[in-house]
Amino acid sequence: MPPPSLYLGEFEYAVLLAVLHLGDEAYAVPMRSFIEARTDRTVARGALYTALDRLEAKGCLRSRMGDPTPERGGRARRYFTVTPVGMRALRHAHAALARLSSGLESVLEES
Amino acid sequence: MSAMPPSAPPRAAERLLRAAIRDKEWRESVLGDLDEEFALQCHRQGAAAARRWYWRQALGLAARFSVTRMLPPVAPPRRAPSPATEGVGQGRWLGHLVVDAWRAIRHRPASSGAIAVTLGLALAANVAIFTLADALFLRPFRFTGVERLVVVASAPERDPLADRSSVAPGDFEEWAARSTTLADFAAADFWDPNLSENGEPEQLAGFRVSPAFFRLLGTTPLLGRAFVDDEATPGRDRRVVISHGLWVRRFGADPGIIGRLVRLDGEPHEIVGVLGPGPAIPYGAEIWAPLALTSEQWQARDRGFLLVLARLVDDRTLAAARAEMRSIVAQQRQAYPETHLEREVSVVSFARGLGDEGAGPFLALWQGAALLLLLVACANIANLLLARGAGRQHEFAVRLALGASRWHLGALVVLEGAWLAALALGLALPVAAVGVGQMRRGLPPGILRWVPGHEFLRLDATALALGAALATGAALALSALPALQASRAGMADALRQGGRTLVGGGRRRIGTVLAAAQVALTVALVVASALILGAVDGAVNGALGFDKHHVMTATLRLDGPAYQTDESRVRFIDRVMERLEGMPAVESLGATSFLPYSGRSTSRPIYPEGEALTPAQARLADFQRATPGYLSTLRIPVLEGRGLTDDDRASTRPVAVVSRSFAERHWPGQAAIGRRFRTAETEAWVEVVGVAGDVMHDWFMQQRRPTVYRPVAQVPSFSLAFVVRTTRDPMDLAGELRRAIGATDPDLPILELRSMAQVVDDKVSGVSYLAGALAIMGGLALVLALFGVYGLIAYDASQRLQELGVRVALGATRWQIIRLNLRRALVVTGVGLTLGSGLALLLGQLMASTLFGLVTLDGWLIAAMVVTIGVTALTAAYLPARRAAALDPTEALRSS
Repeated sequence: MPPPSLYLGEFEYAVLLAVLHLGDEAYAVPMRSFIEARTDRTVARGALYTALDRLEAKGCLRSRMGDPTPERGGRARRYFTVTPVGMRALRHAHAALARLSSGLESVLEES
Repeated sequence: MSAMPPSAPPRAAERLLRAAIRDKEWRESVLGDLDEEFALQCHRQGAAAARRWYWRQALGLAARFSVTRMLPPVAPPRRAPSPATEGVGQGRWLGHLVVDAWRAIRHRPASSGAIAVTLGLALAANVAIFTLADALFLRPFRFTGVERLVVVASAPERDPLADRSSVAPGDFEEWAARSTTLADFAAADFWDPNLSENGEPEQLAGFRVSPAFFRLLGTTPLLGRAFVDDEATPGRDRRVVISHGLWVRRFGADPGIIGRLVRLDGEPHEIVGVLGPGPAIPYGAEIWAPLALTSEQWQARDRGFLLVLARLVDDRTLAAARAEMRSIVAQQRQAYPETHLEREVSVVSFARGLGDEGAGPFLALWQGAALLLLLVACANIANLLLARGAGRQHEFAVRLALGASRWHLGALVVLEGAWLAALALGLALPVAAVGVGQMRRGLPPGILRWVPGHEFLRLDATALALGAALATGAALALSALPALQASRAGMADALRQGGRTLVGGGRRRIGTVLAAAQVALTVALVVASALILGAVDGAVNGALGFDKHHVMTATLRLDGPAYQTDESRVRFIDRVMERLEGMPAVESLGATSFLPYSGRSTSRPIYPEGEALTPAQARLADFQRATPGYLSTLRIPVLEGRGLTDDDRASTRPVAVVSRSFAERHWPGQAAIGRRFRTAETEAWVEVVGVAGDVMHDWFMQQRRPTVYRPVAQVPSFSLAFVVRTTRDPMDLAGELRRAIGATDPDLPILELRSMAQVVDDKVSGVSYLAGALAIMGGLALVLALFGVYGLIAYDASQRLQELGVRVALGATRWQIIRLNLRRALVVTGVGLTLGSGLALLLGQLMASTLFGLVTLDGWLIAAMVVTIGVTALTAAYLPARRAAALDPTEALRSS
């Protein structure tokens, strides 16, 4: 059994959410634009790959190689899906954040 | 994107990424992602900008991937780490220190450069010589299982130059049957056949081997098969297995070669197997045939000629095998007293038995010299660092005052040492690679067969590891002194002195010891290298007993059915000589069985008339066959009696000319002329008609081997060497010699066509190359030591300017001041020279025993060294002392 709750870094949290959002199209290129668009921050390409690799090593993500396509020079895409362990970590992080911020809505949310 | 991308991503960047990303899936997906976005970038900003974009991405990713490697999975931390764990703090601290240390190195480019170059050269010498030792001596054979193989020989264990091909067939059979510690006994016998098809006739290096041979080595043929047991019988043995190299070189790697017949020594042989690429065992063999002896021959015990290999049984050690073989041979001595009375046995490792036997002590000597050089270099650098350290005490004090710990300072100094060692190693490796390349090219092709392991002469991981280890050792040793200084740095003292440095007693003592040690080691090293150079010079240019100048030689072997009879061989020699005789450039000519310095010879037991000797008691002599012109062509003097003449024919009485050492050995103090001896008990008596001067056959042994010269006409040999003396450059005769032999027998390969001077040079070239390397090391050490002594004393004197100023002010005379300075220089050099001379004497004795009396200690050499180093030291002391003495005392006091 994996530990009941994995500690997720902020960026890892963002990456997991992006994978969930993108569903079948979850590979590095759209993931990066998605995170950049939603967080209004530039994401270093290398940082994204490192995070994906680390999350896979922790058991939060699973990857598979897609079919090679010509616009990628005949190379395959690496698609990611969130594993149950990843889901548990996400839920835990989300709940923790929610608990932390509850009661502060008036301060945190802009009108 | 439906449109085709107008341009492709930069290929070099792709290659960089491919190299940086180890994981295959990541490589593919990352490159694919970049391709996909590259098309978008092209569309948006044009191809050139997209390519720049791609490069930026690739560089960033490559850096990140090579740092994190993506692979080691990070264990998830259970808890969030506390804000400032010690690990993080220390990592950062170390990082700063590394950068700081680098800055300290860069800040003093001159002395840092000097240190790196000094250490680099010393490391290069060590790495290069270790590579040589590793290839030729430590691991000349590198195939699986070689460490369990041994060579068994009928030779004394301790004799490093014993002939390994010395086992009698009867002994081989008996040992194989009786030994319980050794298995898979295999025997091999020299067989160098002439191959005369597919181009130029050529003599191949080959062996006749017993069927177990390939099984023992663990080689299975690439094509065909190895020998089967029943092929080891006479009549069924016309089969050969050939090496991969020979298959490619002479047969164009023909895959259908199995079953093909080739003519070897004129006889058809069937090729039954081709080996895969691998070591040429033994002695560069390229072709193997079954060792086919009759059952009678297998029982012969009197004469040993087989090279015997075996494998240690699973859990047995070399020592156990040695003990067992000794006891077997001890029993044999009792059982066969007439042949085995003095029989010896030795069991040695495969590498020692088949490696270059002489290489070991030599290489040890050279490695020792290289280590000495490294020590001298380290002593020199330590002195430089000490001088530098004295200047840095102020810096250390400031650092301490600003809160650095002593630990911190120590680490800084160690890291500086590490940087210096890394720089030196970076310099050393290319230098060593060039040196090793030179060594490999320096080996004459003629001797490669006898130098197993030469193919491994290149810098490999082992050599790199040694270089790194030595560099690390040097770094630690070098940082020890400054670290000690740093730890002693008194903050308040140093700051109060305002940067004025003190030459403390401790520092002076260390400096003195270092300089004296340098002088001592240098004397030893220079004397040693001079000894070897002298020895090599003696071997090349010294008294050889013959005149190597203006002589051309050609070596052949008269093998095959055409030369089975004595008459046919005599006829061949006569015909070639007739062809050469008329030529205007030919002054004189002759032929012999083996040239001196060629490394080949045969010996026979000598039974002088009037002595009843058993085969075990008979002493061996070099057995040469010569034509009448041979001795005069090589200018070997006839001291007594006459030389060989044309009248000594097969039909006349058997005669011989013997060497002086032969005459002195067998008939000491008596006239040798008219004495008789024979080389086998069944043979006719041979009368001594002349005594010739001794000839050096081998620089290495420097032995005057007792030698017999019999007329070729009476005992025609199969091995043959023509010698032709000319008034011109001997190489001018090469074509004529080749034509004369080719016209007589076009199928006969000429093994070697060299001038006699070349024969001598080739034999010593390996050692003269090494002697050159040693001389360079000695010279380097001398320069380093001179700098070291000069630097130390000059620095010391300049540090004492103040003190000297006070003395002058108090009325000391100029000479008193100079004498004061000279005293220390005298102590340093005196102690160093005394120790060094002792060390040199010891080393000389060691070398005299290693080099078989080749070297002679030269008192002048040591004296010259003493004078050179002494004068340097005194000059170094005198110059600053004179300056100090000339100073205005007030100025001296105010200075620094």
